[in-house]
Amino acid sequence: MSDRKLVIIPAYNESKSIIKAVEDIKEHAPGFDYVVINDCSTDDTLKVCQERGLNYVHLPVNLGIGGAVQTGYLYGCQYGYDLAVQFDGDGQHDAAYLEMMAKTLKETDSDMVIGSRFIEREGFQSSGIRRVGIKYFSALLWVLTGKKVTDPTSGMRMVNRDVMRIYADNYPKDYPEPESVMAILRMRKKVTEVPVVMKKREEGISSIGGVKSVYYMIKVTLAILMERLRR
Amino acid sequence: MMTIKLQIVIALAILVVFLILVNMIRRRSLELKYALSWFLVLCALFAFDCVPRLLIVVSEFLGIYAPVNMIFFLGFCFSLVIIFSLTVALSRMSNSVRTLDQMVALNEKRLQELEAELKKHQKEE
Repeated sequence: MSDRKLVIIPAYNESKSIIKAVEDIKEHAPGFDYVVINDCSTDDTLKVCQERGLNYVHLPVNLGIGGAVQTGYLYGCQYGYDLAVQFDGDGQHDAAYLEMMAKTLKETDSDMVIGSRFIEREGFQSSGIRRVGIKYFSALLWVLTGKKVTDPTSGMRMVNRDVMRIYADNYPKDYPEPESVMAILRMRKKVTEVPVVMKKREEGISSIGGVKSVYYMIKVTLAILMERLRR
Repeated sequence: MMTIKLQIVIALAILVVFLILVNMIRRRSLELKYALSWFLVLCALFAFDCVPRLLIVVSEFLGIYAPVNMIFFLGFCFSLVIIFSLTVALSRMSNSVRTLDQMVALNEKRLQELEAELKKHQKEE
């Protein structure tokens, strides 16, 4: 029996791009089921989900990206999926990579596979200042765990059932990516990276920018250090 | 150092605040659990109001020159404790809200699925 595979699409005010993301998955990753997590959007994302008959879960209170993605992992556990992958609904990610990631997860016997922009350095490479930040987190993880993760902020990550369960129990609330990678590295889980190409987002704006980025750097650094202190 | 008149005014103020607190608890708009610390403050204030010398005794004991400084200091410490306990309560609360939100969402999903299944069954019959 083949593995049951789930794509988690967290959506906050993405009524314009959500259909495209779902169609991308249906076309390029036919072996995957998907679930849209509508994080109490203030636009008509919910209406779009209902009218187009998408498979969606609607959060009645806005939780932020961490809480939304965690809902997806809870869904994955509840419906008995073998692996789950996070996939942004704003057009940054390409569903054509999903099968390859699933294959890598299985063949390398990894617990997590991250789609990294910085292995082959192709496609949208993020802005310069952001790359510095990503390098910094990468270095921080390396110092604390001895493991190399080139793109710890990548939102395209696939996990097996083990990690799904861990994330369903505990997942950071905001800016969750680097911290959650640290959490499973600490538990001696195997993290593998594969090269992917990401596009510039089509709709919506990044949750990080301006004064917020200072808060982001400090908060995530502290979160990673705290994670290191947990046993 | 404190006139009888001022002492009575303060005592009345304490009494009024006490009655407000009791009334709020009675109407369940304030949890008794969180009101306890405020009762404690009222008791301390009342003690100092009745026996003003107590202030001087305590500040001398703590090695603080002016009693008024001690009041500021203790008041500040107390406020910090209350604010801290509030952040702890808030953290707990936000975790509960998150869990509840997620469970409501997933249950709603399950409910929709079951309804759809039920409709299918009814059609078949």
